Amino acid sequence: MQPFQRDHFFNPSSPYAPALAVRRAYQEAKDVIARAIGAKADELVMTAGATESINLAFGSIDGHVVTSAIEHHAVLRAAEQHGNSTIVPVGKKGVVSVEAIAAAITPATTLVSVALANNELGTVQPLSKLAEIIRKERQRRRDNNDLTPIYLHSDASQGVGQLDVNVARLGVDLLTLNAGKIYGPKQVGLLWAHSGVRLRAQVFGGGQERGLRSGTENVAGVVGFSVALERAVNGRKAEAERLRKLRDNLQEQLTSAYSNVIISGDQKRRLPGHLHVSFPGLDAERLIFLLEMENVLLATGSACAANKGTRSHVLTAIGMSDEGADGSLRISLGHLSDEVTVRQGGEAIIRAVAKERERMGR
Amino acid sequence: MKVYVGMSGGVDSSLTAALLVERGYDVTGVYMKNWTQDLPGMKCPWADDLADAKRVAVQLGIDFKVFDFEQEYRDKVVQYMIDEYKNGRTPNPDIMCNQEVKFKLFLDAAIEDGADMIATGHYARVENGALKQAVDTNKDQTYFLYRVTGEALKKTLFPLGEFTKPEVRTMAEERGLYTAGKKDSQGICFVGKIGIREFLSQYVKTVPGDIIDKKTGKKLGRHDGAIFYTLGQRHGLDVGGGLPYYVVGKDMDKNEVYVTTDLNDDSLWKQQVTLAGVHWINHAPADGSYHIRVRHRAPLAECQLTLGDDVQFTLRHPERAVTAGQSVVIYDGEVCLGGGIVV
Repeated sequence: MQPFQRDHFFNPSSPYAPALAVRRAYQEAKDVIARAIGAKADELVMTAGATESINLAFGSIDGHVVTSAIEHHAVLRAAEQHGNSTIVPVGKKGVVSVEAIAAAITPATTLVSVALANNELGTVQPLSKLAEIIRKERQRRRDNNDLTPIYLHSDASQGVGQLDVNVARLGVDLLTLNAGKIYGPKQVGLLWAHSGVRLRAQVFGGGQERGLRSGTENVAGVVGFSVALERAVNGRKAEAERLRKLRDNLQEQLTSAYSNVIISGDQKRRLPGHLHVSFPGLDAERLIFLLEMENVLLATGSACAANKGTRSHVLTAIGMSDEGADGSLRISLGHLSDEVTVRQGGEAIIRAVAKERERMGR
Repeated sequence: MKVYVGMSGGVDSSLTAALLVERGYDVTGVYMKNWTQDLPGMKCPWADDLADAKRVAVQLGIDFKVFDFEQEYRDKVVQYMIDEYKNGRTPNPDIMCNQEVKFKLFLDAAIEDGADMIATGHYARVENGALKQAVDTNKDQTYFLYRVTGEALKKTLFPLGEFTKPEVRTMAEERGLYTAGKKDSQGICFVGKIGIREFLSQYVKTVPGDIIDKKTGKKLGRHDGAIFYTLGQRHGLDVGGGLPYYVVGKDMDKNEVYVTTDLNDDSLWKQQVTLAGVHWINHAPADGSYHIRVRHRAPLAECQLTLGDDVQFTLRHPERAVTAGQSVVIYDGEVCLGGGIVV
């Protein structure tokens, strides 16, 4: 990224020769990104992150939208803004029910949006089955000479690097990705849409990104994104396996130390590096503050929701008690995690929990 | 002894809690949620402040609670402030916050919740129910506390009254308190970094009016709302040229602001002060010689007190910019006796 912030700072749209090199580098980065998800570069719209991508997707749609109660706020708020939407409840395991989504689809539905993996529980959603439902609905409409389109959108920001994000295999029509979640720069993301989807610009100006997202290209950011994404996708299988072992060990460590521990999210359908654990009766924020003093950095719900002092809508949606929700930690493992740090992190969590129980028991 | 400490997320209240823990009290930290609203140009820092207060509580291993006084704060402090400005006066919301929220609502809620006493990070001292100035006379906050009752003070601890601000910073650093390096909050507690003008314009519709030279009656310029101007104010008049102008009067009905360049103008200086809404912390003093303070950190001024139907002072030397609606606080040596509002 750095050369594009320092030496190759030219606006890619400028006519002089050095700008051409920048333009090429930008295009190559988009090619790399497109290849990593099995798409064409011209099908990508580079954005300032997943939230913008989601808003672009929702803003391109007329008609009825179906999404789930455990989606990220970016999706829920965009659906609210859109107006005509159905929020489908989910079961206790935090996995969207394909039947419930199918039941919510009406003849006027034009978009179904479900994240590949839930950002709080780490649960992996049945995207290919949802894609199948949508294919059937499309077929039904075609048979009835109904031209109303219907698309499947997924925000895969939480899954990339651990799950397959090939657009054809996922069966989606629109895909949102984010560089920040894979060690890339923040404020960089993309919306992929196959050529049959007509996007509608939300940001107007000089006509960059095929007129769908005006504004001078974030060259350094997109170059950084391309490197991060290529690494994440290439290393995915080995990394997922490694993280799964670490996560399973940590889960074992925590559940054997304390009996009153809740592990949430369908055990068979979770991101390998994700662990959602609740200590009912404890205040998770206190645990986080204790742990940060030992350099163990964890989150409660999704970072944004926790800052607002409100309870997680995801945990409410899966029917968790307030006591459980307030005592919930979201543990994400990644490149920096290894056997030693994860074991030490587990020990620190156990110590923090013991300390809090002692304080409350006095 | 169970003490509830009001923790704002700043260094003062953090150290207050730490000192009480060290002295063996059973301490609970409480964040008072008084104001959470963002305003144009200013993000309300309450969530960060709450998290900082809680971090320190966790560091100290003490219980932590949030008391929600948002509604009461809006009714009793913010509304009071807006009303006073509308009436052409310059109120002090901090004094009202102490009177209505910290040493009434918070105290009552803490006692109800099982506390024996409360504590805050104010720079002031309490001795046998009497309010005394802080050792650090530069930081002394008794001006803001003069409307607190003696009864409330008997249940209050001010551990910082014995220390100077630099000592407090050092002690906070020595203890590694999370908030040790945090900057002091600026301005009015909840308005924060934006000015009172920006805040008021959210709530009061103002109309531009004339700025008039008191002596000549000549129109000198326009102002954007008489409520924004305070007697004695020099800056922000946008009346150009020559000597600086001072605000010497306002007519709220006519929406006119009167100014002068004459620093000796009678209305800028007061020797006789009459107070209304007088509050004595413990009991009314006898007539005699005392000191008063006309605003926070203003030097103490000698005066003669006469208690009749109303409370009157004769200042030894006239004071500048003693404004209607402003609080005057009365001292007998180090002891803050109470005070009232300038008529």
